Amino acid sequence: MRFRDVSEVRLPEAGPAAGVDGLTGATTARPSTPPKPAAAYPVKQPFTWWTRRRGYLLYMLREFTAVGIAAWMILFLVEIARARHGTGGYQPFGGPLFIAVGVVCLVLALWHSYTFLSLAGLIMRIPLGDRTVSPRLIVSVMYGGLVAVTAVIAALLIWGGA
Amino acid sequence: MTARDSAGGNASHHAFKAGPNRLLGLIWAGFATVAVLSALIVPAHILVQGVLGPLGLVPSFDRRYDTFSRALSNPLVKLYLLALFVCTFYMLAMRVWYVVRELGVRSKLGVGMAAFGLGAAGAIVAGYLLFTGP
Repeated sequence: MRFRDVSEVRLPEAGPAAGVDGLTGATTARPSTPPKPAAAYPVKQPFTWWTRRRGYLLYMLREFTAVGIAAWMILFLVEIARARHGTGGYQPFGGPLFIAVGVVCLVLALWHSYTFLSLAGLIMRIPLGDRTVSPRLIVSVMYGGLVAVTAVIAALLIWGGA
Repeated sequence: MTARDSAGGNASHHAFKAGPNRLLGLIWAGFATVAVLSALIVPAHILVQGVLGPLGLVPSFDRRYDTFSRALSNPLVKLYLLALFVCTFYMLAMRVWYVVRELGVRSKLGVGMAAFGLGAAGAIVAGYLLFTGP
């Protein structure tokens, strides 16, 4: 779930409105003066607002998964760039540091998969007669898809290197 | 005739734009698509190429030049990898766009241009390396 950007909410201008006077019954009209620009009320919060609650922290961690995934993809892109130099110039990444980075990025990627595929049960409504498909079933199918796709791609990557 | 009509027609002012923001809806729909695709296909790449392959537990297509260049010379592999990079950079741009603003940066348009600009640059670089390489 994303927070709405409250800073963009503009409130209607204050002032007398057209209507019927409750005491006298007389009709009152809005003044003919041009409306003033609507005022914005920005909400300022500290930079560390996301450390206040565990839910906020997990939200930021979920958003940060995109950085870890992109970082690993950039490393993969560097490998592709190295492959342009031919047999002698190609050197794949390796060593303990690269493996550690891979483990961290894998955890982040799995966290992204878990959080995003879990959302499918909330946002998808599949009609089935008078009812809808159970959210739990939808999430289970998504997780099954993750396992199946992972197995197929991993098999292709391994087969390509054999 | 209502009191509002007698006051000069539609004199009330409303700050919200009428109708849905179609561009933002399109951006969110794109994000949902690439995020699901990334959730399904990215873990396998990191698992095999980033952990199991370097550990020597399984062979991986990028560990040797001959297997890597042979795979990269396949047009279908090029297209698949380009889609993978586009998904990754789009998702990064979208999430950076929102998180940076939630951390206090005010400029919605500026942050969006920077985030999606960098994402597009990454996708262009990936396309160039893929389609001009082996």
